[in-house]
Parts: sequence; C-alpha cells; structure tokens
Amino acid sequence: MRLVLVILGLVLIFPALPLGRWQAFTLDTAQFAFIATALALSWDLLARTGQLSLAQGAFFGLGAYAAGLSAGVLGTIPALLVGAGVAAASSLLLGAATLRLQGIYFAIATLAFSEVVRTLVLKAGFTGGATGLPVAPAFGGGWALGGYYLAAAVLILSVLTSLWVGHSRLSYAQAATRQGEATARVLGVPVVRVKLVSFLLSSALAGLAGGVYAMKALFLSPYDAFGLGRAVEALVIPIFGGLYTTLGPLLGGLLLVALETWLRLEIQDGYLVIYGLILILAILFMPRGLVGLFRPRAKPAQEEPRA
Amino acid sequence: MKLEVHNLSAGYAKAQVLFGLSLEVAEGELVALLGANGAGKTTALRTVSGLIRAWGGSVHLNGQSLAGISAARRAKLGLGHVPEGRQLFPLMPVEENLLLGAAFLAWEHRAAGLEYVYALFPRLRERRGQLAGTLSGGEQQMLAIGRALMGRPRILMVDEPSLGLSPKLAEEVLQTLAQVRSEGMGVLLVEQNVALSLEVADRGYVIEHGSVVLSGSAAELSGNPQVQKAYLAL
Repeated sequence: MRLVLVILGLVLIFPALPLGRWQAFTLDTAQFAFIATALALSWDLLARTGQLSLAQGAFFGLGAYAAGLSAGVLGTIPALLVGAGVAAASSLLLGAATLRLQGIYFAIATLAFSEVVRTLVLKAGFTGGATGLPVAPAFGGGWALGGYYLAAAVLILSVLTSLWVGHSRLSYAQAATRQGEATARVLGVPVVRVKLVSFLLSSALAGLAGGVYAMKALFLSPYDAFGLGRAVEALVIPIFGGLYTTLGPLLGGLLLVALETWLRLEIQDGYLVIYGLILILAILFMPRGLVGLFRPRAKPAQEEPRA
Repeated sequence: MKLEVHNLSAGYAKAQVLFGLSLEVAEGELVALLGANGAGKTTALRTVSGLIRAWGGSVHLNGQSLAGISAARRAKLGLGHVPEGRQLFPLMPVEENLLLGAAFLAWEHRAAGLEYVYALFPRLRERRGQLAGTLSGGEQQMLAIGRALMGRPRILMVDEPSLGLSPKLAEEVLQTLAQVRSEGMGVLLVEQNVALSLEVADRGYVIEHGSVVLSGSAAELSGNPQVQKAYLAL
C-alpha cells in the first residue's frame, strides 16, 4: 500500500526530474507504460472473479475509436468519457450473454468478441477502415504535458479503483466467486451480478485507457488498437507482477514496459526473443509474481490462477 | 419461520433423484434427514437452497414460495446451507472465510457474528489467521458451519458434517448444532451416521429413492425395527 503511494508520487513528479536530453523520450515511454499498466489493472479487476478475459484489447480499441471519433466535436475529457461509456456498454451486452460461461469457454467467447469488433471497425466507413483514423492530440496540443498527465490520471484512477475494490465487500464476493461459485451462491453472493459489475468497471477503465492512447498515438488502425497483443499484454502484466493485487500489475506494468523499451534500444533486432525468455523465466520461478517475492505468507488473493 | 417442502422432484439431466419428497423444519427444532448413500439427501438440500432447479413440487420459506428465486436470494431470506465436503476457500485465512459468510447477508453484524462463532468454536479463534486449507478435518467442518452462521440464517441445512471425522469430533460438531437449535435456529441435518444423528435430533425423516419412507420423533425412529435393522445394525 505504501509502495503504491510512493510509485504514484513518482509518477506525478516525474516530468520535473532533470533528465536532460532523455526527457522527451522517457516521458513518451512513461505515457505508454501508464496506459499499459492501467489496462493491466483493469484486466485484473475481472480476473479476480475467476474469469479470464481476452476482450480487454477490444474494450481498449472501442474506447480508443469512440474517443478518437468524438474528440473533435466534444473536446478531450468528454470524448474520453464517451470512450469509457462505449466500452462499458458493450461489456454489459457481452457480459449478459457470456458471463455464465466459465473458464476456457468464457475466454473463447471474449476472443471471438474481439475478432467481431475488429472486423466491424475494419469494414465500417466512418472508422476509416484499414486506412486508419487520425486523432487530434489531447487538449488540442496546446498543453505540452497534457498527454502525460492524462495518462497519469488514468493510471491513478485505475490504481484507486483497484484498491477500492480490493478493500470493499466486493473483494470477498470476487474471491468466493473465483474459488467456488456454488458455495458463494449459498452464502448469498449474487455471482452473476458480481461478475457483471467487475466486468463493467474493468471495461470502462480499459476504454478510458484506450481513449488516452488514441490521443497519444494520434493515429488508430484496427490492427493496432484491437490487436491480440493488447489483450495478451493486459494479462501478462498482472501474471508477472502478481494476480489479484493492486501493487502487482502496477509494478509489473511499469517494469515490463521499461524492460521492453531498454531491450529494444540495446538489442534492436530480436529483442522480443530476450523479452519472451525473461517472461518465461519469471513465470517459472515466481509463480505468485513479483509481489510474491516480498510477501512470504500467502494472502487470499494469491492462489494459482485457474485457466 | 418454517421451511416447508412439498412433493418435491428434481434430478440431474435425465436422471431423476427426488420423487415427491415432503418435509418440514421449523425454527427451534433439529430435524435429521437420514438415508443411505444415493437416497437423494444431498440433492434435496441442493434443490431447496436453489443450486439446482426443482422439476416439480414446492418449497416455501415463511409461507413464501421460493420458486424462481436464486440461491443467493434464498440465503438472504434466511436459508443457510453448509455444503457437502465443507467447500471452504482453502487459501483464505480462517477469519476471511468467516467474514465472507457475512459479506452479503449480515455485513453490519460481522463483529458480533465473529464473536458468536468464536464462542461456539474457540479453536477457530486460535487459528483465525491460519489458511483454511491447513486446518484439521474437524476444524474445517467447524469453519464451514461457522461461515454459514455468520449470515444469520433462520433455517440452517448441514450436509454430512460428520464425514471423515473421528467419532469424538463428529459428536462434538453435532452437539454444536444442537446448541444452535436451542438458541432458536431450525436445523436440517443430513447424515449417514444415523445413530449419532438420532441422539441429537428432535425428529427425523428416513428417505429412500428420493422420497420419505418413514418419519417421526427421534425416539420413535430409534425404536423402529426397520430403522434398527437397516441403519443401526442392531
């Protein structure tokens, strides 16, 4: 908890650090790291109910496109809210249809959903299709650090949501739903509603992160915004950092993006091979993630994830 | 409050298990539901608590029909269920397992609930920080019952609490249920251990092939030659 606050403090003062000629590059990288971490935190919110979603990239992409399309008319903040709203609304539809499915069946349904959404965006006229969609920068580009603080705000919002859920009654309901649905039900836990609420929070944050990404990347294509890589990244980070925690995805996201960036600069060709190797070793030797290294006693949230 | 089950039928896929089961449990009484393996005891509890859908018949709690009401909602109405095999959350500490039992049913009473359960099972208080999966079998059963009690049920259904316990521990656990009954809760106890159940129960039903074949006070059932022959091995 204290470490979480320290990290958030660093995020806020980061632009003031004297980084010299590296400043522009590190601020850029930091923004992408914040967005990826926010997405990972959002994925973990649903994972806590035992549901493995592969649609996080789809919500991210929906948020990105909805914000990108409406930013010109509405302005930055309302457009981001529209992005979050579109993602949340689509999660309600998907969730109502699929959240009774469990384990691998739910994962496959969310994967199919991602493909459907990506194809729709690719074929629709108003999204720019395969050519892509140019997006205006946040706040019309008038505020140099606007994009940075927007990404930081999404990260902080995700962290606060994750902490809040983790300390509320909902966390008991999520843990019970994950560990034994029938038992949870006879203990009064409305499991479908718990999953739906978790899905809603999770997708709204993912949509918000997508919108911020759109205003940072300034250009969206269906391959990029809806890529499976996005969905995989959203689940690799929490697994690397520590599932069902706030600190895990936060630490994991910032470290993994930093590591990936550093490897890309150092090795250039084939850096992904080394990156993948590090991930494999980390998952083999840290089954409870980074967080497991300095929390010896198993807390409720740290059992092996069920597929 | 009274639980009334009338002419209940249920099953899994095409295999019917319950054939017109009827029984009643009122507050302040401990009723044993007895029968051999496969007679339908667990299915009866699962149907009453809403985990599986009834094919026919009715379940009323406090005069209200439970048809179409979810398991979570039935728990909220005062129906507690300690499932077969305890079904604890093994990687959660003891106290969190208990708090979970109150989370959606009696959250505002959780502190009093913990006190009540710890007074009933002092050993759970000693082990409050321990992971549930590391408890002994007897302690796990106590935790499963305690977790259900945290939701302040008016009628508590307990499935095979003596399973896998030593005779001494089994008796201890059943005595606790008798105590809970004396405080005004209704208890429906499903057991294969007929002798022990009839020691603590007020009344009992014997079921075979999914319907009641015999019912009466615990004393009547203990004295019944059929029961003695089939279940008490006298």
